[in-house]
This record gives sequence, C-alpha cells and structure tokens, in this order.
Amino acid sequence: GPLRPTEVSFLAESTPITIIPRQRLDTLPLISLTTPRLTPPQRATVPLWLALILKKQKRCNIVPPSWLSSHTISGILQWEHDNPSSFSGALPWHWLELSELLLEAASDDIPDANVGGEMDLRVLLRALREVRQSKARDGLKQLEGTYLLMNGLGMMEITELRGFAGMVVDGLRKLGAT
Amino acid sequence: MSYYSPDALLTDAQRLPCTFENAVQGLGFLDPSSTSSTIPAGTTLQLPLWLAEMLAVSQRMGTPNNVLSLDNPPALSSRVLNALKADPKTVELRQLATHFYALGERVLGLWDEPELEEVLIQTYKARTAEIADLAHNPQGAIGGEAGVFLRGLDEDERQLFRVAHESAKMMKQFMTERSTKN
Repeated sequence: GPLRPTEVSFLAESTPITIIPRQRLDTLPLISLTTPRLTPPQRATVPLWLALILKKQKRCNIVPPSWLSSHTISGILQWEHDNPSSFSGALPWHWLELSELLLEAASDDIPDANVGGEMDLRVLLRALREVRQSKARDGLKQLEGTYLLMNGLGMMEITELRGFAGMVVDGLRKLGAT
Repeated sequence: MSYYSPDALLTDAQRLPCTFENAVQGLGFLDPSSTSSTIPAGTTLQLPLWLAEMLAVSQRMGTPNNVLSLDNPPALSSRVLNALKADPKTVELRQLATHFYALGERVLGLWDEPELEEVLIQTYKARTAEIADLAHNPQGAIGGEAGVFLRGLDEDERQLFRVAHESAKMMKQFMTERSTKN
C-alpha cells in the first residue's frame, strides 16, 4: 500500500543538515555514508537522523535550513494566496516532515519558533499547510481518467493524496473516461 | 478484473434480464418457477452475468439465432439514469446493486451505450468528490444526509472512502503526535 506518514518522515531523515557540535566525535564509517569528524566549534554537515540523536543527547546545536524562517515561509504563504491554482516550488521536497521534526527536536535553535503572534513560525507553517491542502483537495475534484497535474507538492502531501487519487483515476479509466 | 478478486466474483453474480429466443432443453432448472426440464421460447429470466454472457454468445447449431438476448438490468434503467442526471449524490447506489459501477462496466462491455457511459462517469466524479469531503470532515457523518449518502455507497466507493479516511487519520496522527509525545 502507500507509505505511511511515519515512513515518509523516516525517509526525510536522510536529508543533510548543518550542526554545531559541542563534543568531539570521530568519523563513523557507515553503510550509506561516512560521517565527518566532529570538532567543536566547527560546523559540520550530517544526515538529519544523526543530528537529531546528537541534539537529543545535547551534543550539538542544529542550524536551521534557510527556508525554515518566518521571513521565507510568510513569503511563500503570500505566494500561495496569490496563485490559487499552483503550488510554490520554493519549498523543499520534505518541507512538511522536516519542519515537524526540527521544531520538535530543536525549537531552541530556531529563532522564529517561539515568537508568538502572527509571525510565529509554527503559526505560519500551519497556515501554509492549510492553504496548500485546500488547493490539493480542489484539484482532486477535477480528476479525470488521464492525469492530474499538481506540481510543487511535497512528498508527504503527495503520499497523503496518492491512495485516493490513484483509485479514482483508475475507476474513471475503467468506466472509459480516458 | 482479476480472476480471483472477490469483487469480480460478486460482480459476476449480479443478474441481467435474459429472454430465451428458442426453446432450450435441459436447462429447465434455471427457472425456479418451472417444473419442466425445457425452457420454452420467449421465457425471460434473471441470470447471473457470467452465465448470461456465455449463453448470449453461443448460437444454436444450424440456426443464425442466438440462444438468448440480454436486456439492461433494472439497476441501470432509464429511470435510474434520469435520477443520476438530476442529482447523483441522492441516489442510493448500494440499493440498486452492491457493485454498481462494476455492473455498469460489464454492461458497457456488452453494448455500445454512450449515454450510460457518460452518466456513470459524471456520477462517479460527483460522488467521489463528496466522498473526499466527508472523509476529511466526518462531522456527524453517522446521522443525517451524510449518513444516508455513506450507507448508499457501492462497494468501490466504500473502499475509496476507507482509503481517504485512513490517510486523513494517519496524517492527523502524525501531525499531533509531536505535541503529545513530550
């Protein structure tokens, strides 16, 4: 069947992210990659899963990606409102999962995370999620038996739609709507 | 449809009205109200799709006549089609046939019926849009109009609803488990 949200989130954890180590760590020769040597206070790039482990153990701070800021997200939110039939391509593939994971694990490293008010990052992300979700649902109502074009959706958003959209398109195909 | 799919088998079991063009010996048992072993010419019976299709395709040896002729099932009558054209969401498809669309597909495979095809497509589109809405906002979906609609879904639609609802549920879970975990 389709991937579950937790599985999509797991896949997102291979995304590289910048950290500021607080402790030394030698390089680790793993199967999919060899991690860099961590020498505080030099920044390093590691996969997100490792960053999350180290952060939890208080052995690093995480540098939020540049798109994870109130300035960028509010700009994208405005674009989404101004363009009712497209999705912004400015968001990374795993934007939804990454914002959830990073806000949960490292909100103290993200300056806009605890601002409160309408420029609060969490508030903006929620609004962004809702406007895109509403557009996606409208898109679903236009399903034909051939294809539905919705560029710019993130992996989680696509996964959310995949099961239903696939079945409807198949149903239409069987009825001869191609 | 796949050979072993339960939905395909159940679809096959749905019935079509059949009229025997000629008398046929030995098939009398098909008519529960008859005591004879011969079916007289002109008899109309409701036979399951798989049997009806087989008999309709076969010809009596030495004659150009087909053994029987098929007619539209009541579930796809013009009365139903008109109701669907008026408001597809108010018709309880499940009451007409559990595998309504599948039945429609089979009938479309037997005859050319552009009107039936168009009505089915528009019906499917309108109803699946409603199913998507209900799956994401199931407020009071048990009672009221929404409840009637959901109970009237045919089998394909019911599976669609299940899929949409499951994915909405899992997303909601994912988005909230962060705040409750700590």
